[in-house]
Amino acid sequence: MKALSVSERLGLVAYRNQGRSEAKPHIEVDTSICNGGCPHKCTTYVCPAKCYTLDEKGDVHFQFEDCIECGTCLYACDQGAVTWKFPDPEVGRGVNWNLG
Amino acid sequence: MEERFDCIIVGGGIAGLSAAMLLARAGKRFLLIERGEFCGSKNVSGGVLWGTDLERLVPGYWEMEGGFDRFVNHRRLSFMDPGSCFSVDFKSDHFDQPPYQGVTVLRARFDQWLAEQVEAVIEAGPMAEESFLATNVLVEELLQEDGRVVGIRAGEEEFYANTVILAEGVNNLLTRQIGLEAEYVPADHVAVGVKEVISFDRKVLEDRFQLRGRSGLTNEFVGACSEGVDGGGFLYTNESSVSIGLVLGMADLRDKGLAPYDVLNTFKAHPAVADMLQGGEVVEYSAHVVSTGDIRGMPSEIYADGVMVAGEAAHLLLNAGKAIQGMDFAMRSGMLAAETAIAANDAGDFSAARLKDYRTALDASYVMQDMRSFQDAVHLLHSPAMHEKVPNVICDFGRQFFTVRNEPTPKAAKMMRTAIKRHASYWELVKLGAKAARAL
Repeated sequence: MKALSVSERLGLVAYRNQGRSEAKPHIEVDTSICNGGCPHKCTTYVCPAKCYTLDEKGDVHFQFEDCIECGTCLYACDQGAVTWKFPDPEVGRGVNWNLG
Repeated sequence: MEERFDCIIVGGGIAGLSAAMLLARAGKRFLLIERGEFCGSKNVSGGVLWGTDLERLVPGYWEMEGGFDRFVNHRRLSFMDPGSCFSVDFKSDHFDQPPYQGVTVLRARFDQWLAEQVEAVIEAGPMAEESFLATNVLVEELLQEDGRVVGIRAGEEEFYANTVILAEGVNNLLTRQIGLEAEYVPADHVAVGVKEVISFDRKVLEDRFQLRGRSGLTNEFVGACSEGVDGGGFLYTNESSVSIGLVLGMADLRDKGLAPYDVLNTFKAHPAVADMLQGGEVVEYSAHVVSTGDIRGMPSEIYADGVMVAGEAAHLLLNAGKAIQGMDFAMRSGMLAAETAIAANDAGDFSAARLKDYRTALDASYVMQDMRSFQDAVHLLHSPAMHEKVPNVICDFGRQFFTVRNEPTPKAAKMMRTAIKRHASYWELVKLGAKAARAL
């Protein structure tokens, strides 16, 4: 069986409000904390949906659109950079599992 | 205040729906609020629902359409090194009679089915027009008066109730709002679960895993599956798919700098696992935070004035090496919280002193008894020796024992000594064995 990449895997996820051009973010990340001396920048590898990425300068960037609401960053970030809420059913993003 | 319910339940997972079932049966006026499009649409488990409580909740469930995927009659525990897999395998016909001892479930399917069963009971009861399962609604805040929880706020709307049961899942933001859990919960007592559902032709699945009718296999893995990270793997057969995944200690994953999806690829590529998965098609990828079962990860208390916390919101989970129990704990705790809510309602007393009955009942139940008596096993399973040295020793021994060389063969005890010498120390394993004997 061929190994799947994260983007291939996320391609199998059903998201809510996918038709909306702009969804309301349910997670806010203060990347100035990440990029101001975080010793591990761990969200860039522990997040199962790879919502946190590193650019060529080594800076952390966050996007909420691929988030599958697992909660990992809520615990893994011990620097206080992550503010986590559940997505709004009407105007937020978030998952809609087919199987779960 | 026109809308005062006997009880409001936050969350339409197993804990919440189990509570709802008992409230519906007791003819209480209640509101269950689920933020997903339908009950189950936000929920992920491995998952096996262990034990027989489901029969108490939905009598004769095994004869009904929908619900569970397969009943478990075949169990396997596998120790892995990078190239080998040594399994303890147990299959028994005593598992074949309903009510079954465990069923595999896919939560989007199972929880939706359970919600339908609750709705049927509501409709047949006295509160058919006054109790509801409301989906697509997010509870943003608990309403408090003089330190007592009196209801919830969802958007602009406020709803009041005599008691609120929080069954909001492991990411328990409302439990944190009222201070039963700290606002920031560190990574030490949680793990991240990642999973794929891999679809097969039903006949292929049944032949490959020796399934008969609705029987099923559960296989847990420890060792190379997690690339040295604290944790383990699982493979469960569903009706026409397998759920395969890993539960990885979050602090250890962070320290080792590994990505869960990469470790999952390593696990799937292990020769013993790859052989089981060939020809399948991945149809869903999911992830969720899981409690580790360490009792220190529980909220400071699971009740307060007007409120009770059930299921994984209370971090009720146990993996003591025999089974990963979370959904059955959710079911039992949801039922016990509902029983307390019903008694409180009849007595007209919703104080913490009254709702402490929930804590007392949970403490007396198998949930807290097992969580307490198997804490040493939890710590042992999360020790580095268990996910590295022990599987390596066992697989090394297996390679020697099962290999025939047409040359004089050492006795098994000598093979074991050789295996231990290569991967650990003798005393280390003796100490571990003694600990295991006490802990398991």
